[in-house]
Order: sequence, then C-alpha cells, then structure tokens
Amino acid sequence: MSVIYVGVGEYAVSKTPGDTIKTMALGSCVGVIFLMPKIRAVGLLHVALPDSSINHKRASEKPGMFADTGIPAIIKQIQKMGNNGKIIMKLAGGAAIMDPNNTFNIGKRNILAVRKILWQYKLGAQTEDLGDSISRTVSIEVNTGKVYLSSPGRGEWQL
Amino acid sequence: MAVITTNLQDEALTETIANRVSNIPLLSHVASQLLAILGGSDHSMQDVVKIVETDISLTAQVLRVANSAAFYRGQDVTTVSNAILNLGEKMVTGVALGSCASRVFNSPLEGYESPSGELWNHSLRTAIASREIAAVTAVSVSTDIAFTAGLLHDIGKSIISEFLIDTADEMLSKCDNGLHDDFLAAEKEQIGTDHAMIGYKLACHWNLPEPISAVILNHHHPNDAEEEYKELVYIVHIGDILAMMGGTGTGIDTLFYKIDERYEEYISMQSDSIPQILLTVQEEFERTKTAVFSE
Repeated sequence: MSVIYVGVGEYAVSKTPGDTIKTMALGSCVGVIFLMPKIRAVGLLHVALPDSSINHKRASEKPGMFADTGIPAIIKQIQKMGNNGKIIMKLAGGAAIMDPNNTFNIGKRNILAVRKILWQYKLGAQTEDLGDSISRTVSIEVNTGKVYLSSPGRGEWQL
Repeated sequence: MAVITTNLQDEALTETIANRVSNIPLLSHVASQLLAILGGSDHSMQDVVKIVETDISLTAQVLRVANSAAFYRGQDVTTVSNAILNLGEKMVTGVALGSCASRVFNSPLEGYESPSGELWNHSLRTAIASREIAAVTAVSVSTDIAFTAGLLHDIGKSIISEFLIDTADEMLSKCDNGLHDDFLAAEKEQIGTDHAMIGYKLACHWNLPEPISAVILNHHHPNDAEEEYKELVYIVHIGDILAMMGGTGTGIDTLFYKIDERYEEYISMQSDSIPQILLTVQEEFERTKTAVFSE
C-alpha cells in the first residue's frame, strides 16, 4: 500500500490494491481523473497548460504538462494496462484569481482544452469540481475508485 | 459600552501584533548590505563578492548551492565570484535571506493552515515569476530587485498567522458569501490589520530599501503605491498571482485576491505570453527549490 505523488505535468496509473494516487494543490492546473472499474484501475494527470505548441521540446520531455499531449500519453498507459471496459472521467481544479477580464484565467483555458481533447476520445466528465478561487488537492483510492478533494481550511469532500 | 470594549480589544490586539514585529531578530549585517546594494541603482559584481566573503557560513552555503546538481556546469566552483557568476546575484541574496531569516520563512503558518516551508516556496516562486516578468516585458525595473521584492512580499504572514488560528471557517464563509473583496479585507476585519501592513512594519524594523517596503505594503493594491515604485509593485502583484495559479500559495488565502487591471499601464504583457511565462517559472522553481534545499 503506497501513495503515488503526481507532480505538476506528471501522470500515474495504478491497479495495485491499496494504492492511492495523489496530486497536491491544483491552482489553475486541472486534475484529469480516470477510473476503470472493470480492471479496478485508476489514473491521474496533472495538466498545467492548455497547448504544447508553446514548447514542443518540453512537451516531448514531459507530455503531461500540456492538455493536448498529456491526455494521449496517459490514455496510452491505460490501454497498456489492458482496459477493455468503460472509463469514468472526473475533473478537478482550473481555479482562478478574481480577474474580471479573464486575462489571467489559464484555469478556464485548461478546462476548455482538456474537454476538447477528451471529446476526441469520446470521453466526457461524469462529475467535475472546477473553477472558483480555491486550491484543490486530489486523492484517488485504487480499492474503491473513490475520489477525494481537499483544500486548506475547507476540509475534505468526495467528488 | 459593548462597542467601546470591542474597540479597546482591537487596539490591544493591534498593539500585541505590532510588538511581535519588534521581537523579530534583525537581519544579519550581510543580508542587509546585500539588500541595500540591490536596492540602489549602481553596483558591480565585485561589491556582492566582497560582502558575501565577509561571512563564512554564507560563503559556504553559496558554494554548496553553486555546486549542487541543478547549477553544476561541469567544473567545481571554488570561489565566491565564480559562484555568483553561476547563480546570479539574486540567487545569492535569496540564499542569504533564506538562511538568516529562516524563522520568518520556515515556520508553519498555522492561521493560514499552511505547513512549514510553504511560505518559502510561495516566496521563491513569486520571486522567480517577478524576475521573469521584469526580464520579458519592457520595464525599467532590474530583474535583481524584482526577485528580491518577490522573495520578501509576504513576510507579514509569518507574524499575523498565529492571530488567525481557528478563524478559517468564519473567514472563508464570509469570503464565499461575498462579504469581503479579498482575503486582505478578511484579515483586516478579523484582527484589525493585515499581512501587507504588518509586513511593512517588519520591513521598517529590518530597514529594508524603500522600493521593497513599497512592494510589501502595496502588493495586493498596487495602485496605492507611490508613483515611482508602481512599476515594481505591479510586477510583484502579477508575480504573486502567477505563483498562486501554479499551485504554490500559502493555505486558506490562496487565489482569493483580485487582479488590478491597471497593470497594463505599467507592464506590457499580452494574454498570449502568460502560458510561456508560467512554464518558465515552473521549470526554474523546480530547479532552484531542489538546489537550495536538497543537499
């Protein structure tokens, strides 16, 4: 039983009973959560930016940094695990500072990019906890497939 | 009568908090000297070398960081001048501040529900973001002072944190219900002052250069700064926001601040360039954090 920490621009999948996959403090980043009940596996991607065209080199070194390279990379991992059943998707994060003109709303741009790429795989989120001005930490239990969010001063809740 | 009692309590609390400031140890002579020359307009690298070399433990620490995996360039660094060439002057100031003000930077912020080390991480990330903004936008502010001001902008939180313990539920509920414009206003209502004002008092106690004090006092409301410091204050205002967006805040207050759109009058920063800046900040933050703390 171990906790697998996913850093900014990283992703992880696990079907080891007892494992928890966790990513800390999603600000404007988006946590893309994959649940594969048939093979009792879960996956988590921590996307920082919407589009890899700003730095192709970085995208090849660390595909999880961008929505358009991170989602295909983790889906490839999931396919390698032999998933032949339904994938349940959940999304968390994409927060923003209070910004009336949305100039700095990278969170929103991340959310839109993630949805667009998921759509290409005919995937859509079943539940979401997105936006607002709060930082979220995500934990996923392999045993139960339960997803928990937490934020400083706000405790923990299930997604 | 009740109102008078409350006012007296508020005044007593404000005085208690102000007393905490005067109990914070002064900055080391070396750190003060480094800040003073970076705050001034003209200095040479040799000035920085001379100051660092007067302090044995700082010299050792600067050499350690310069030889760490993140900054190593194939040859051992054995002199302070080569170390500064490798690291940059601002990193040297960062190392000096981090070591001599560790009580300020490394204590947990219990009132913000933020563990030990988060204030330093947030400060370092804000420093890197501010330096990056100063580097890529057409501003007259030097990258050195942007970095140092970013590093120091939130020092007030280390003092007011203990007065905010057990207030998170009440403060967040008011924030969520639109009763406060931002978290600074929430602090002000809760304890009669806020981290910007108390940080400014600490800046005065430490005798920090005026531009840096102006940043500490005005980083959430940059338009209130004196005109001559506004460019720098807006840079750190945005740097702070980029650090929080990147997931490095200081607990319950993270992201609950407003952007002042008038930054456009001082910093030419297109919306398209923000992802690139965030990416650079992320990479530099990971590199620097590891170098300063891992070995």
